[in-house]
Amino acid sequence: MSSASEFIRVDVNMTTCVGIARCGGCVRVCPVSIFQKNGDAPAVVEKNLDECILCELCIQTCKPEAITIRKLYEA
Amino acid sequence: MRLLEYESKRILEKYRIPLPAGRLVALGEILKIDKPVMLKAQIPIGGRGKAGGILEASDTEDARQKISHLLQSNLRGYIPKSVYMEEKKAVKQEFFMGVTYDTVAKAPLAIFSPAGGIDIEELAQKQPELVCKEHFTVASRLPLHRAREIVAETGISGKLLLGLSPLLSKLADVFLDYDATVVEINPLGLMDDGQLVALDCHMEIDDDAVFRHADIASMEKDTGRVEGEKRMSDFERKASEINDLDHRGVAGRMIEFDGNLGLIIGGGGASLTAFDAIRAHGGRPANYCEIGGNPSVLKVKELTKLILSKPGVNKIAVIMNVVSNTRVDLVARGIVKGILESGKNPARTVAVFRIPGAWEEEGFKILSKYGIPIQGRTVSIDEAARIATKNSD
Repeated sequence: MSSASEFIRVDVNMTTCVGIARCGGCVRVCPVSIFQKNGDAPAVVEKNLDECILCELCIQTCKPEAITIRKLYEA
Repeated sequence: MRLLEYESKRILEKYRIPLPAGRLVALGEILKIDKPVMLKAQIPIGGRGKAGGILEASDTEDARQKISHLLQSNLRGYIPKSVYMEEKKAVKQEFFMGVTYDTVAKAPLAIFSPAGGIDIEELAQKQPELVCKEHFTVASRLPLHRAREIVAETGISGKLLLGLSPLLSKLADVFLDYDATVVEINPLGLMDDGQLVALDCHMEIDDDAVFRHADIASMEKDTGRVEGEKRMSDFERKASEINDLDHRGVAGRMIEFDGNLGLIIGGGGASLTAFDAIRAHGGRPANYCEIGGNPSVLKVKELTKLILSKPGVNKIAVIMNVVSNTRVDLVARGIVKGILESGKNPARTVAVFRIPGAWEEEGFKILSKYGIPIQGRTVSIDEAARIATKNSD
């Protein structure tokens, strides 16, 4: 699953994500609400992506390391 | 407290400073006009003529319509509560005379110029030889012989010198007697018959001294004399709504101006410094707008779009001091996104981007991607203002 933004791209690898019921860390820790529940899966809220402050709390909290963040302004 | 023109003129009249014949007129009043008159909206701002607040009427019907129009007009946020009707004078020459308080020298300052009817500060910069300024003391006031020296300094002599000098001396008396902070007659008109007449007057009284003047204090208490404080323009109101979009930081304290360069500038002293520096370099700000406290990308984006939606504004200057509590990259994102959503090219729209500080490396990467030149902390706010002004056209 991926999302489009001018500056930030956040991907959640759904093949390794264990779901909200077993983890849900990304939804819980993101200070700018980039993740929300979509059933048992985390969904990226596209309209909030520009607000990503690059704290990487989502990456740190994701046990199966399913989240990647890319800065689109870097070559 | 700024007095309305007719209030100021009533004071001038007490000091026997000649005025055109005039009076306040009410909506629906039966008028009889047999010669051209000037209709002047009574609002406490300068530049009323340019704002459409001064109209000429040639006959009764024309005057009736224009009075009605003025009383319904919104002039830079003010709706006039009264109109002052004055006989139209054939003016041969216009002068400026004023008295203000010089806070640096801590003394009253008399100013005279033979070039009236224009912005005196601009004239003093461009043609200083046409403006004569002299300090005087509260104790010795401005006696006639000193007023004569000031007027003569600008090359005026003969009957004109004898006519102008007592008016400047009297104006200094008005200034001192009324605890004013500014009294200006601009323009002071010279008529064909040699008479000098105060065509317009701007007078401001020290707020802390109003209680010393019963007549001024009663005006201050009259809530009906001016339609409230300056009201927010639609542009300012929209900016305020943007500021309320979320709790993060400040981005939307806006004051609208009529220039062509949009400003998004850092809060507090830095924003005032940047604004003044742009003006000093000849730039024409379209707005004053503070941001700070790490506003969200959304707020900066919406603010950028709002400023660029203003007719005639195609460039934005982004200037802050070295920031510690605002992230450069988040501001850069907001600016770039706002420009893109306005359908413009960031490289051609940003006149200058000078925000050094927290997360500047990330911010500079964003700017680089969109071809926006980076101005780091080695570039002063004054230099950034100069660059912005140069790029603003």
